[in-house]
Formats: sequence, C-alpha cells, structure tokens
Amino acid sequence: MKKLARVILGLLLLAAFPAGVFAQEGMVKGVVYDVDGSPMPGVSVVVPGTSSGVVTDMDGKFSIKAAAGSVLEFWYLGYETLTETVSQSSQPLEIRMVLSADVLDDVVVVGYGAVKKSDLTGSVGSVKMEAIADLSASSVDGLLQGRAAGLQVMNTSQDPGSGAIIRIRGNSSINGSNTPLVVVNGFPMGDAGALTQINTSDIASVEVLKDASASAIYGSRGANGVILVTTKNAEQGKTTVSVKHQTVVSTLSDKVDIWYDPLLMAEVSNEEMANAGLNPPYIGQTLGGIYYPSLLEIQNGEWANTDWVKLCLRTPLVNTTTVSVNSSGSKASLNLNVNYYNDQGIYKKDAYDRLNLNAGFDYKITDKVRFSSYNVVSVSSRNVSNGLEYGRNPLWPVYNEDHSYYLAGPTDFSHPLIALEDRMNKTAGRDFLTSGALDWDIISGLRLHTQLDYRYKTSLQDIYEARTTSQDAHDNNGIAKENMTQYNEILTETYLTWNKAFAGKHNLSLMAGHSFGYEQNRGLYTTARGFVNDVLRNEDMNGSDPALRQIYNDGYYVSKLLSFYGRANYTLLDRYLFTLTMRADGSTKFGKNNKWGYFPSGAVSWKMHKESWLADLRWLSELKLRASYGISGNQGINSYQTLDRYGSEKYWHDGNWVTVIGPGYEAGRTGANDRYFVWGGIMNPALRWETTAQTDLGIDAAFFNSRLRLTADVYYKNTYNLLREKYLPLSSSYDKIWVNDGTVENKGLEISLDGDIISTRDWTFSAGFVFSANRNRVLNLGDAISSGLSTDERTGMLYEVSGPAISMFNQNASILAEGQPMNVFYGYRVDGIIQEDENPGFIDPSALLDRPGELKYVDLDGDFAISSKDRCIIGDPNPDFTASLNLRASWRHLSLSVFLYGVYGNDVLYNGYTYSPRVKARRWTPDNPTQDFPSLKSNRQYYLSDYFIQDGSFLRVQNITLSYEIPFSKKWIQSIRIYGNIDNLYTLTRFEGFDPEVGLDGIYWGGYPKFRKFSLGVDLNF
Amino acid sequence: MRKNNILSFAAAAALLWSCSMEEVPYGFYSGDNFYKTEADAESALMYAYNALNYLEYLRGIWYVGDIPTDDMYPKSDEPGDIHMLENWTVNSNTELTHYYYKYCYIGINRANAVIERIGNSSLQEEVRKRVVGEALFLRAWNYFNLVRTFGICPLSVKPISSLEQTTSPLAKDINEIYQLIIKDLKEAEEMLSANKVFGRADKAAAQALLSKVYLTLASSVDYGAAGYRNLSIDPEETYALAAQYARKVVNDYPSLYGFDDDLRHIYDVNAPDGPEHIFIMSTDRSGTHEGMYTKIPLQFLPNNSSVPIFIKYSDGTLQRGNGNGWGVFLINDDFVENSYLPTDKRRTELIHRTIYDQNGVEVTPSPVRGYYTSKYVDPDFIGERTSARPYLIRYSDIALVLAEAAGPGEGYPLVNHIRSRAGITELTPGMDKASFRKAVINERKLELAFEGNRLFDLRRTASVTSTVQEAASLSEDEAAFYPIPQREVDLNPNVPSSNNNAK
Repeated sequence: MKKLARVILGLLLLAAFPAGVFAQEGMVKGVVYDVDGSPMPGVSVVVPGTSSGVVTDMDGKFSIKAAAGSVLEFWYLGYETLTETVSQSSQPLEIRMVLSADVLDDVVVVGYGAVKKSDLTGSVGSVKMEAIADLSASSVDGLLQGRAAGLQVMNTSQDPGSGAIIRIRGNSSINGSNTPLVVVNGFPMGDAGALTQINTSDIASVEVLKDASASAIYGSRGANGVILVTTKNAEQGKTTVSVKHQTVVSTLSDKVDIWYDPLLMAEVSNEEMANAGLNPPYIGQTLGGIYYPSLLEIQNGEWANTDWVKLCLRTPLVNTTTVSVNSSGSKASLNLNVNYYNDQGIYKKDAYDRLNLNAGFDYKITDKVRFSSYNVVSVSSRNVSNGLEYGRNPLWPVYNEDHSYYLAGPTDFSHPLIALEDRMNKTAGRDFLTSGALDWDIISGLRLHTQLDYRYKTSLQDIYEARTTSQDAHDNNGIAKENMTQYNEILTETYLTWNKAFAGKHNLSLMAGHSFGYEQNRGLYTTARGFVNDVLRNEDMNGSDPALRQIYNDGYYVSKLLSFYGRANYTLLDRYLFTLTMRADGSTKFGKNNKWGYFPSGAVSWKMHKESWLADLRWLSELKLRASYGISGNQGINSYQTLDRYGSEKYWHDGNWVTVIGPGYEAGRTGANDRYFVWGGIMNPALRWETTAQTDLGIDAAFFNSRLRLTADVYYKNTYNLLREKYLPLSSSYDKIWVNDGTVENKGLEISLDGDIISTRDWTFSAGFVFSANRNRVLNLGDAISSGLSTDERTGMLYEVSGPAISMFNQNASILAEGQPMNVFYGYRVDGIIQEDENPGFIDPSALLDRPGELKYVDLDGDFAISSKDRCIIGDPNPDFTASLNLRASWRHLSLSVFLYGVYGNDVLYNGYTYSPRVKARRWTPDNPTQDFPSLKSNRQYYLSDYFIQDGSFLRVQNITLSYEIPFSKKWIQSIRIYGNIDNLYTLTRFEGFDPEVGLDGIYWGGYPKFRKFSLGVDLNF
Repeated sequence: MRKNNILSFAAAAALLWSCSMEEVPYGFYSGDNFYKTEADAESALMYAYNALNYLEYLRGIWYVGDIPTDDMYPKSDEPGDIHMLENWTVNSNTELTHYYYKYCYIGINRANAVIERIGNSSLQEEVRKRVVGEALFLRAWNYFNLVRTFGICPLSVKPISSLEQTTSPLAKDINEIYQLIIKDLKEAEEMLSANKVFGRADKAAAQALLSKVYLTLASSVDYGAAGYRNLSIDPEETYALAAQYARKVVNDYPSLYGFDDDLRHIYDVNAPDGPEHIFIMSTDRSGTHEGMYTKIPLQFLPNNSSVPIFIKYSDGTLQRGNGNGWGVFLINDDFVENSYLPTDKRRTELIHRTIYDQNGVEVTPSPVRGYYTSKYVDPDFIGERTSARPYLIRYSDIALVLAEAAGPGEGYPLVNHIRSRAGITELTPGMDKASFRKAVINERKLELAFEGNRLFDLRRTASVTSTVQEAASLSEDEAAFYPIPQREVDLNPNVPSSNNNAK
C-alpha cells in the first residue's frame, strides 16, 4: 500500500520534471532504502543544477544519467535530503534515507514546558506562522482566524489599532470573561485579542490549548482556553539582519449607504412624515430654525448635493516596517525586533501609531546554567476622530456665503468639518514588559526554571469637546477630560522538571512549581467644564469653573494570586501515555470561605500505530487516540467583590458639603436615563471562581509518510457556579449580591486536515482544512425568583434579557433562556407586509399596526391581538459551524496562497434596517405592493421581530497572497522577497448589510462597508 | 549545594503557602476600617440623613403624600406608575411604592449601622449621645413612613452585612412597630439637646416626631382606621401624650422655633433655617448630581420652552423660576377653587395659573396646563440644579398637632394664628372637641398642602374613600395601606404572599 502510494506520488513528480537531456554521461544505478531497511519507492533523485531527475520504483531502484564526479541528491518529504557523489565505478549505489528531525521532534510548547508533538496527550492546536506572516493586522491575534480548529476569531472593528474578539470552544460565562488567556514566553498577559506589544514577525509559534488536560495547568484562568505565544530565538552560530516593510491600501468593498439623490431623499422624507400624520418638511419652509426647500427647488438644482463622504472619509493606508537582528554565538545570543506601525482610519485624522521594541537575550553562564531575558517596550498613540457624520443631509452646503460653516439651525452640532477641527480625543499608551529566567540543569534530567516578570502599562487620554461640537459642551462652555490609567504586575514562576527513562520501557517526566502574582490597577479620571473659550482645550484645567470640576473616578485595585502546580507524564513502551496535572490557586479575589481552588486534570493517549498489529500498514504513519478530563476555572470576580463595601456621597450640612460614608454601595444604575441606583456592597464570603469541567476525545492520524494529517476532537464542556447577581429582599436595603449559580454547556466537533499534495523540489501544493462546530446551551440560570427571571407567557420558558438595549425597538434584543443557546433573539414573527384589503389576522386597538403597509405580525396565541404573548425565539446568533480552507502552491521561488473562510448558520439582527436609505427607497406604497419592505412612517414604533433578522452565513475569499523570493549568493544579502496580497477579496452571503461578521451577540449596527485591503511588502534578509 | 537549594526552595514554598490571601480593601471604606473617630461617626450619621435625598424617596413625599389625595394629580401624559397612585390601583408591582419602600429600609440600615457601631464604640459619651440620638430619630422617621404607608412590615434593628441577615422577620402587629418608633424617639429625646442646624434633627425634632406618632395612633384608634382597631390603646390618653410632646416643641424653644409670620418667607429657598424649620431636607444647587441638588421645581412648574418663567405675586413682585419645567404635579381645580376662601393668601400667593416674562407681561398662549404651586421655586437655579427642599417637619405642622391633640382650649389660638397669617377670618368659636379636631384637619389640608401630609391625615381619620373621588369604589380597609412590594414577598419567606394589613 505504501509502495503504491509512493509510485503515484512519483508519477506526479515525473510530470513535474521536464524531460532530461542526457549526453556523454554514464547511467548510475542504485537502490534507496527506508530507515528500517526496506526498499523505498517514490524518492526523487536529481542532479542539482541540471534538469535531470527520476524517482525510485516500487523496489526502490533508480537509474539516472550522471557524469562521474557529479552529485546526486536524494529527496523525499519528511526525510533529510542526502547527497552522494557519483564515483567512477559502476557499482550500484545503496542509499539509506534518514528521517528529518523536524517531523518527529516537532516540539510543542505547553504550559510550563514543552513536549514532542507525537507525545501530546491533550488537545493543542498549532498555528503555522508562515501562513500568516504576510498578513496585515495590528496584533497577531486577529490573524488567527480559521487557523486552528476550535478557535473562533472575529474582526468586527475596522478602527485603527483595534483588536479582535477571540473564543476557544464557545462562550461559557455570562458575567465573566469568555476570552482565552494569552501567555507570552510563560508570562500570562490577560485576555487575548489585543496582543499589540509583541511584533508578529518576532513570534516563532502560537499554540492553542483547548482541552482541560492542556489548559487546567492554568487553573482559575484556564477555563476559556489558553493561547501560548513563543518568540523567536536566534539560530546557533548565525547572524541575520532583516528589514521588512509592508504598505496596505484599504478601499471600501461597497458604496456607503447614504442618500445619493437629494430629491428622492426629500420625497421619502415628506412621505414618511405625511404617513405619520405630520407635516411634510420639504415644502419650502423653516422648521426649528432649519430651512427645508421644496421639491421643486431641489429639482431645479437650487440646492447643493454635498458629497459629505468625500469630506469625512479617505483611503486609509497602513505602513509597517520591521528591522530585526538575530545573532547567536557559542555563549550568548541576541534577538532584536523593532517595528513601527502606522494605521490610518477611514475617517480623516483617525489614526493609530505604534513603535515596538522586542528584545530577547540569552547567555550561557556555564554549561548548565542559562540566563534568558525578554523585554518589550511599546509606545503607542491613538487619535480618535471617528463617527464623522458622512450621512449628513446632502442638501446642506458646507459653507455659508461668507465661508463660515453652514449650520442647519442652533442645535446643529454635527458638521463634520467642525468636529474635525474642534474635537480632541487622543490617547498615549506605554507598555513595558521585562522578564528574566534562569535555567539550571542540576543533574542530568533535573532542571530548575525560575522566572521573574514585571509589567508596567500606562495610558493618558486627553479629551476636549469645544462648545461647537455638542449640546452638552455648548451648555457647559466646553468639556475637558484627562484620564490616566496605570497597571503594574509582578509575577514569579519557579518549577522543577525531572525526566527519566527506565529499562527502555518506561519514561517518566515530572514537573512541580509555584507562582506568585501581584497586580495593581490604578485609574484617575477628571473632568472640567466651563471655560472662557476653547483655545487652550484641556491644557489648562484650572481655567475651568471650579464648581464644575470633578474627579469622577479614582480607582485602585490590587489582587494577588498564589499558585502551586504540577504535572506527571508517564509513557509506557512509547505507546501508552498518561498525563496528570494539578493546580491550586489562592486568590485575594476569592471569598473568605473559598480562598483556594483546586484544578486537576488527566489524560490518556494511545499510539496505536506503534502496536505490532498495525505496524505492517505502511501507509499509516500515525494513529493516536486521546482522552482527557479536567477542571479549570474562570476568575470572573472583580477585586473587592467579596468584601462589604461602603458607599460614599456628599451631604449638604450647615452650608457645606461633607463626605458621608456608610453601608450600601452604588453597584450600578437602572431605569430611564439610569436615574435609579442599584445598591450592592454586601459581602458574599463564599464567592468563588466559575468552574468548567471538560471532557475531550481526540484522534490524530497521519497517512502516506505523514503527507496527509488528520486531527479530530469531540468535547463536552460544562460550566457551573456561574457568577450571577441574585436579588435580595428590599428590606435588606440591598438590591443584589453576587453568587455562584447557573450552568452553561458547550459541546462540539473539531476537524483539521492537512495534506502535502504535491511536493517536489520545484513544485509544492498543500491544502489545509479546518472545521469547527460548537453547540452552546444555557442549562440553568439559578433560582427563578431571586435571579429575577422572566417567564415566556406561552411556553413557560425562563429567561433574562442580555446584551445592549436597542433604541429602535426600545428593548434588549437578546435573552439568556434555559434550554437555549446564549443570546438568542426574542421577539415577534412577521409574515410579510399587510396589503390593501387584506385581513392581517389581528386587530390593533390603536389602529396603527393593522393597516396596509405595516409589518404583518403573527398572532401566535390566537387572541387576535399582538401582545407580549406573541413573542418567541426568532433567531440564534451562534453559528452552526465555521470552516476554512488554506491552499498553498509554489513553484521554485514563486508561491501563491489562497485562504477561504466561512461561517454557516448564524443569524444576524440588522439594527436600523428600515432606516437605511437603500431600504427606504424600496418602501411599500399602494402602487408598490411589495411583501418585503414596510411603508414609510416616521413615528412608527417597531417591535423586535424576525423581519430584522437575516442569515449571517458567509463564505469569504479572505486572502490571496503571491510572493516571489529572489535568492542572492552575495555575501551581504541573502534574499529579497516581494509579495502582494488582497484581503477580503470577495464575500458570498445573503446578508444585506455590509458585513455579516459581527460580534458574538449577532447584532449588526450598520456603519461603513468592510475594507478590501491591498498590501505590498518587501522583506530583505542580510 | 544542591540539597541546600532544594531545601531553601521548599522553605520558600512553605512561606508563600502561609502568605495571606486575605483581601485588604483599598480606596473604599468597609465595616473594618470605619467608625473609628468622631469624624467617622458624623460622616456615618450624615450618610443616614442622605438616604432621604435620593430621587426615589424624595419624590415619594408627593407620590405618596399628595398624588393619591384630593389636592394633587399628575399630568395625563406623565409616563410610569404615577397614575396607579392617582387612580388608587396600586399593586405589589407598582414601581413608585417599591422604591419608596426600599429607601425607607436603606435609611433604616444606615441608621442601624450608626446605632450599633457608634453606640458600642469608645467614642466620647457626648459624641455618642448626639450621633446615636439622631440615628434613632432617623430610624423612627423611616419606620413611621413605612408603617403609615404599608402597615405591618419587616423589622430590622441591626445593620445587615451578610446573606443570612437579609430576611428580616415581619413585625407581629402594627403596635410592635409603633412601640419601636416610640422607644427610639424617647431615647433620642433624652440623648439630644436643642441644636438647630439646617440639615439635621435635634431634641425638638424628636419631640415633634413623637407628637405626630402619638397623634397618628390616637386619631387612628379614635376614627376606627383600618389596622388600628384591635389596639388596646386609649385614644384620649394618647392624644394627651401627643399634646404633651407637641407642647414642648411649640413652647420650649422660643428663640429657635416659632411661627414665621411672613407666609412667602417660609418657602424662601435661600432661608431654609427660618423659625418654621424643625427638620428640612438638606440639598443645594451647587451639588454635582441629583440628590446633592434637587429638580423639585421642575416637577411643579409649567414648561415654557426653556425660557425662564416669572411668577407674579399680588404685590407686583416677580419671582424667577425654571423655564424647562415638566409640570407633572398639578393641583386639582376643585381643591383650589372650593377649599380656600378667595382671599386666603395660601391660595392667592402660593397657587398660580399664569406665568409671566421678565417684564411682568403674561405669556400667551399660555403653556400652563393647570394650577401649580410656588412653594418650591428656586429663583437662583443653575440649569436644572436647584436648592428647593421640602420641609420634613415644620413648626406650623406641630402647632396644628398640638391644636388637634389638646382640643379647642389650647387649640383655637394656634389655628387662628395660622389663619390670620393667611389673611382669613378666625375659626368659628365654640366648637366641641370632635368638631374642632375636624376643623384642625381641614386647616392642615390648607396649610400643609403639597407638603406630603395629606394622605396620612386622610388615612388616620378613615376618610380616604369619602374624600378622594378616585378611591370612592374602595373600602376604607382597602385604602388603609399599600401592598408590600412583590420582591419583598417573593424573596423574604417571613412576608406572607397575601399580606392583608388592614385588620
């Protein structure tokens, strides 16, 4: 079987070689043997520098014309390339192939250590860095989309410098974080999604720890999975310098959805007012200080058709340049990577700038002691200028005749050019990170690793709203803000690793260690109002009205985490692998009664292909079964949440303000305009982490000498002790207390399939396919009454609202309902548009909803009225599955890669659908009795219904990259690589908004179309 | 070397294990780091006063005290549950009574914390007495609001700081609550001295509140009000107690408390510590958020499209007021036109139907939607921020308590003093005790209108249904108390689901 496969591959190879021209050369014959001594078919035998080449036959034999003294090269994927000089004798050559090291000994970084890929017992996904090296993003996280099964990455924001939303195996928390932990060189850096301080080109590997066996070693921070990032080390004995530059030009993939025809806009506006029983504005009149020309005036061209898009938006550029120096001698090595990144937003002046320095040092103090250090300096600045009103009324001119800005009345604060000039919102960020580690090989097999990490992060935000930019700023004579945040973290990790093989049968590896972390967050937020003029902006906060100065938040949070952890790996006969891990976390954040959490996990794995009864199947390179179970936690608790916390207010006492303090603390606001306090501050000493128990079954298989590789996992995650707020009796004087109550489950299937389909010296073609399906379900939301749950009146389903309130519907769109996926949409059903003379099937007492041109709501409970009883679940934002296909082909130095990404089966709520000019233009009228769009009516109150829900499935040609590498044999330059790529080339979808890739809640908020990015880059290696 | 290292590693690990994972609060106070000094004690006490200033409680003065009665009604398009109060359809889910109830207990818990922590502290006795005395007054104040509004309710006398303490037991009867209130006020009276400070209560306030409590008990029993019928209380003895304490307030502090003979001056926001001040809400327009300042005038004044309005008085003076009022609290036409004599200054000076511009020219067409009162106008408002503050206890209120409790002999001069201040004739002389008491209650209606007293006067005289048109279809028992809010019923197992207080 293996032989047959090799012959087929060989034939493919032959086709790839041009016919050789042979002259004056002898025929060299020989046999190629595999590592185990068996004949090896399909090995390519070539004479370098010529076009002659053959492949070995079924018996491993070959014959090739080659002159004596010339060199033959023997090449097969996964094996070392061997060379043999042709001697004068006609003796047949005997070649024994050697497996290349990087296939077998591909080392995978896991928490507190590294293991050989073949020895993995848990579910760990590795991202191929070379596949994403040429893509543009502000941080590596956003590039991981579709690169590992079970990893969901959503790039929902197009703001400069924005991060990505990242999930591993679904959402499992309601009030805590759902974002995986990201760990850089052993230093846990918090939530993944914005790893902006580490240069992508400095990253050697990214590992995704998915199952409990892999992630439970991170204890109370591991429940959402872990992403391990490891930076590069210089290659021994080499010095390389490289310069990389990339320029990205972004264009909009569609036209902005605004009014292009002012006459149609005016007609539509008149119509929607008239239908509402109000006066149509565009009849040539002044309303509230604004003149509305008549249709005739517009038709006659008396009014402007201002191109506000051109005044607000631009073609944004991204420029990024990296210089790196890698050098390694016998004792010391240096790894320096400097990156400058400049990202322009599409709004004028909207920008993000960043300079990163990543520096790694390594020094061998003795043969047994090694010191290494990794340091980051990241300096960034963000100028926020987004939200300029490009949809402003095109009839309004830019300027008055005296060249002052034209304002449509005294309350018009949305002129984009004024906003550009008079608004200020900029943030300067600094992020410093340093870590030093000592590795000491105490005796053979016993190694001590100790590491100290320190991080200091700060940001300073300057805001000024001039009195021309908002009503609030106008009334307050300018609003200035200075906001500072500061973050300090110290972490020590020390662990011992011991490795020992016994009697050639047993292999035992033990690791035990502890860590201690200290985090401190500080924030100071100040506001001042009432300035004489806007000239100094926020530069002179003292120039404000003293009565209107406010330090509105002065926050300080400290937490400590002390941990002990250990792992045991035992391998029997290199076939049966067992892993046990354990972590104990003690945290200041946990309640007094639950200071310590214990997170065990276990995994077994069976390398079936090592069994004698499978060894004969030569086409089978690997077959491994894995099973794991473990418990990990989510520290969704904030600092001080378990303590009794007193509130502080101001009281007017005898003509002075005094600070007053006592039990009861403002934990939130509720009601219209957030006018009512929600009282918290009562302690719950039992409060603890959320707990996730996860079971994983997996299979790793490789075929045809590992040219085809399959990994599949099924998992079941049960998250319980969810952090929730429980209501208290009013007579307690508190509204809510944090408790652990509620359960969510996630289960799913992940498949990744990789194949090296063509693999010759000149041609390669490989394909990778990644498939992930996750099913999420809320099992329990705690006690119905004390959790304040609502009940669906028809079905008795218990639920609570979640997500943001949507003003268009005057309600929240999403709910958490027992037995349903998280954040399903809950509302009415709509069955088209009510036509003239049609019975809508219900009667509206206010006679508003049952008229022609209205949405035809479905009367589910059959009482001939539309009431809250007619609501049901109308959509699910969670996808059925996501999949990606990565194709790479190369010919010599030219390579092409195509990346497709798709999401299937998710619903998207299109907020503002019927307000969109595109939709308005196609409205129902008696003359246009459409079933698709309602009539226009300016004061219609829409109910949240499935009319606004659309299929968010899409298939995207996410990226195409073409690159060419020019090798040089010159001393001073090794190679030049030039590449270009197109991002977001084409999206196939039925979704009518600009892009269905929205956040996890599935709510589309409109905005401008998604960018199509064209990048051009050059890499110089010296 | 190696051995040493492993040992020291183990030692370090053991050290870290024992390292405390206790959380130390930073940047905020908690029970552990507060109540240490006199300043702490004062601050904690003021926090208990501050509970009165929250929007939900503050507006309850009118939501509960006046909207459900014959003097005030809400504008028709005001959103929310206010119409349930107006129309006597309040149920256990009514938001406004829910909030009123909640803030009574917030005030109680804050007072309980002071009583417990300062009462058991080693602070100077003089400090302890003053602070604890005022906290006792505040606890009584909040329970008095609760018992009159909701009847039998949960009793909590200790600060609540753990989940186990959050389900307080229900009082076994209404008397248990009254006995707590009376005990607290008697202790407060003993601990406090006369100390007239704007924004806090003193000995006179404790006596004043005690007189109101006794009067409520006496008249409720006297009139057979629902909920009080089974009390073994002699009404006349209790009237006498009410008179005894009211008399102290009326007579004992001539230099501090007395009648203000300038009617409009009583309501001058810039003179909150006038002679009528016994206990007044303490806020100021210089505050940065609502609760520090109030928006009370906006509730009363008509909307003049944000142009400041001017109220014209009979002497021709103009008073400036907010132009962006919401005009929520409107006064019944019938109440204005048929309760007051046409010359009553409380009608002519304090109730209006027109607004003027700064030149005294009437604004036409008039945006005024009904009668409004000028008891809460701040001419020096800043935007929506005003210093308007409601009286919580006013001298004239206690004078009328004394008149009602003591009867005609002592009462006539007091009532007639108030009537003459309002520019109207003296009360018909020679009434018997019962008729005189009714006349005093009528005088309270005119004098204390829109000051949050009316509903309680109607309830304690069992005359809600005969007085309030919207309540005419109810029985007096049904009108006696509002239902305990649903969240309390749902979550406190000590509160029965159908709490019928009106026994």
